Amino acid sequence: MQLPFWPVLLVDLLGSALMIVFSILCVRLSFQLRSQDRENVVWTYLLMVSHALTAFAVSRGVGHIAKELLILGDRPDIWAALRPYSGSINTITFCVVGAVTLFFERIWRVYQQVLRDKEALQEAHEKLLFMNKHLEDLVLERTQELARSEGKYRRIFEVSRDMIAVVDAGGTLLDINPAGREMLGIPHHLTGRESALPDFGSFFARREDWDRLRERILRDCYVSDAEVDLVAADGREVNVLLSAASECEVSRKTEIFHFVVKDISQRKAMQQQLLQADKLASIGQLAAGIAHEINNPLGIILGYTQLLIREEPEGTERYEDLKTIERHSRTCKTIVEDLLSFSRRAHTKKETASLHETIEEVLSVVRHNLELDQIQVEKDFDPAVPLLVLDKDKMRQVFMNLIMNAKQAIGKDGWIRVETRFDPGRRQIRVAVRDNGCGIKPGDLPRIFDPFFTTKGTGEGTGLGLSVSYGIVKNHAGDILVESQVGEGSTFTVVLPVENEDEENAGT
Amino acid sequence: MKKGPTIFGRRKRFALFLGLLLVVVPRAVWATQVHAEPEGLYAHQLAHAFFLVSMGILVYWLRERHLTQHRGWRYLQYAAIFFILWNLDTMFVHHLEGREDLFLTFSKGTLQAALQPFPGREWLTWAFYLGKMDHLLCVPAILFLYLSLRELIRTGYRFPRSENG
Ligand SMILES: Nc1ncnc2c1ncn2[C@@H]1O[C@H](COP(=O)(O)OP(=O)(O)OP(=O)(O)O)[C@@H](O)[C@H]1O
Ligand SMILES: [Mg+2]
Repeated sequence: MQLPFWPVLLVDLLGSALMIVFSILCVRLSFQLRSQDRENVVWTYLLMVSHALTAFAVSRGVGHIAKELLILGDRPDIWAALRPYSGSINTITFCVVGAVTLFFERIWRVYQQVLRDKEALQEAHEKLLFMNKHLEDLVLERTQELARSEGKYRRIFEVSRDMIAVVDAGGTLLDINPAGREMLGIPHHLTGRESALPDFGSFFARREDWDRLRERILRDCYVSDAEVDLVAADGREVNVLLSAASECEVSRKTEIFHFVVKDISQRKAMQQQLLQADKLASIGQLAAGIAHEINNPLGIILGYTQLLIREEPEGTERYEDLKTIERHSRTCKTIVEDLLSFSRRAHTKKETASLHETIEEVLSVVRHNLELDQIQVEKDFDPAVPLLVLDKDKMRQVFMNLIMNAKQAIGKDGWIRVETRFDPGRRQIRVAVRDNGCGIKPGDLPRIFDPFFTTKGTGEGTGLGLSVSYGIVKNHAGDILVESQVGEGSTFTVVLPVENEDEENAGT
Repeated sequence: MKKGPTIFGRRKRFALFLGLLLVVVPRAVWATQVHAEPEGLYAHQLAHAFFLVSMGILVYWLRERHLTQHRGWRYLQYAAIFFILWNLDTMFVHHLEGREDLFLTFSKGTLQAALQPFPGREWLTWAFYLGKMDHLLCVPAILFLYLSLRELIRTGYRFPRSENG
C-alpha cells in the first residue's frame, strides 16, 4: 500500500495561505477592538496574540509554501539554506504567543484592580463634586434644622412657668426666661448681651446661700432641689426650690450654670396655713372640753349670785360686791361661750340671709362709737353678692370682731373700708375689712388666730376675737385671710362659699 | 480567588511536566540516531510544548472566569483547544519525522511522491500521514480566533464592572 503525498502538499499549501489570510484579518479585528476601548489591556493582549500568530502564520506559511515550491522546483539547496530561519522564527513565535498568554492572567488581575481603583476614584470624585455643589444647600439645610431645634428649646425656655436662668461662674446672669424675670422683678428691656443684667447672687436673701450653692455646683457639677429664699428687685421675698447643673464651656473657658427655679412661696404659705389650722383645731378641742366643764358651775355661780342680789337691798356694800361677782361671772360665761363657738360645739341655726344686711346691722351698732374717734367707714358692696345660708348672729359676731379690731388698731382718726365681692367663677364671696391702722408685725401674723393671743393690755383684749371668728367662718366652710403691712394697715378677708344655686338672687 | 493561584500553579506545573515528558521521550528514541545538531529540534519541540501549555492555561482561565458564557470568548476557547490539538499533532509528527524505520519515500520532491510503510508499521505510517495534514487543525484554530474577535466586536463586549477575580 502506498500513501500518495500530494494531499499533504495540497493541505499544506492551502492551509498556509488560509493561515496567512486569517491571521491578517485577526490583526485587523483586534486593532478595531482595541480602538473601541483603548484602556482595556485585554484587547491589547488579544492584539498581541494576533500579531504573534500572524507572525507565526506568515513565517510558517511562507516557509511551507516556499519549501514545497522549492522542492517541487527541484531547488532543495535553497530550501536547505532557508530552513533554519523559518524553523527558528516559528519557534520564537510559539514562545511569544505562549508567553503573552501566560501573562494574560496577570494582566487581567492588574486590569481588574485598575478598574476597581478607577471606580473608587470616580466615586470619590463624584462625591466631592456633589459635596461641592450641594455644600451651600447642605449648610442651609443644617442651619434650618438648627433653627428649628433652637426654636423648640427657645419655646420651652419662653413658656416655662419656672425660672430658667443661665449664669456664669462669677454669678453674672447671661440669660433668663420671662418667668424668671417676673419672679425676680427684672425689667424686660434688660438683656444679658450688654451684661446689663444684675448679678444673680444679689437676689439671694442671704448672700452666703449663694456662695455655698456655687461651691456645691462647682464641686458636684449639679445641685438638685435646694430650698432658698430669694428677694426680688422690688423687695418681695420668694421661697424657691432650685436645681442647677454646670457645664464647661470651652470657648469661654469658664463654667456655665443652668438654673431651674420653682417658686414655692404659695406652697409654703399653704403648708403654714395647714399647720395653723391643725394647731387651732387641737386648741379648739381642748378649749371646748374645758369650756363645757366650766359652763355648768359658772351657771350655778351666776344663779346663786343673782339669788343673793335679789335678797340684798340696793346700795349696801354687800350688794356692790355681789354685783361685781355677777359681772365677772358673766364675763366668764361670755368667754366660755366664745370658746364653745370657736370650737363649733355651740349650736348654730342657719337661715337664708343677706350678707350685706348683716354687715349693715353691725355697722349701725358701731357707727356712733367709730364717729367718736373720727374713724370714717366706707362701704363698697358688690350688688351681685347673692343671698347665703348662714348663722346671722354668729356672722354678726365675726364682723363685729373684725371691725372692733380695726378700730383698736387705728386708735383715733382713720378709715375702715368694707368691701364685698362675688366671684361667680369660683362661686365664692369675699368680704374684706381694711383699715389704715398700725398693722401687724410679721412675727405675730402666724399667731393672731391663736386663742388668747393678744397684743393688747389686760382688760382691753382677751385674744379670743379672731380665734372665735375663725371658728365661725370655718363652720361656714369659709376662710379668713390676712394681709398686713406694719404702719400702713391690715386687710382681713372673709371668704365664704356660695353653696346653692337657688340662693343666687342678689340681695343688698 | 484565594485558593486559585495555588491550584492553578499546581496544574501549570503538571502541564509543564507533561510537556517536558513529550520532549524527553523522543530524545530516548533519537539517542540511537546520528543527528548532528539536535538542539534546534529540541527548542522547537519545547516551544510547541510551551505554546500548548499556555493555550491550556488560557482555556482553564476562560472557563474559570465564566467568560465562556459569551459566544465570543467561547470561540476563543475553541481556538485554544484547536491550537492544543495542533501542537500535539505537530509534536507527534516532528517526533516521527526523524525515524527511518517506518516507511519508504518514493519520488521525493515530486508531485508523485508517496509513502510505503514497512510491514507492521502501517498504523504509525497512517498516523504520520494524517498528522502531516496539521493545517486541518490550525486553520480551524485561527478561524475560531477570527470569529471570536468578530463576535466580541459585534456585541461590543464590555467587561463586568467589578469582577471578583
Ligand atoms: N385690724 C388689726 N390691726 C392690727 N392688729 C390686729 C388687727 N386685728 C387683730 N390684730 C392683732 O391680733 C391680735 C388678736 O386679735 P383678737 O381679735 O383675736 O384679740 P384682741 O382684739 O386682742 O382681743 P378681743 O378681740 O378678744 O377683745 C390683736 O391683739 C392684735 O394685735
Ligand atoms: Mg379683737
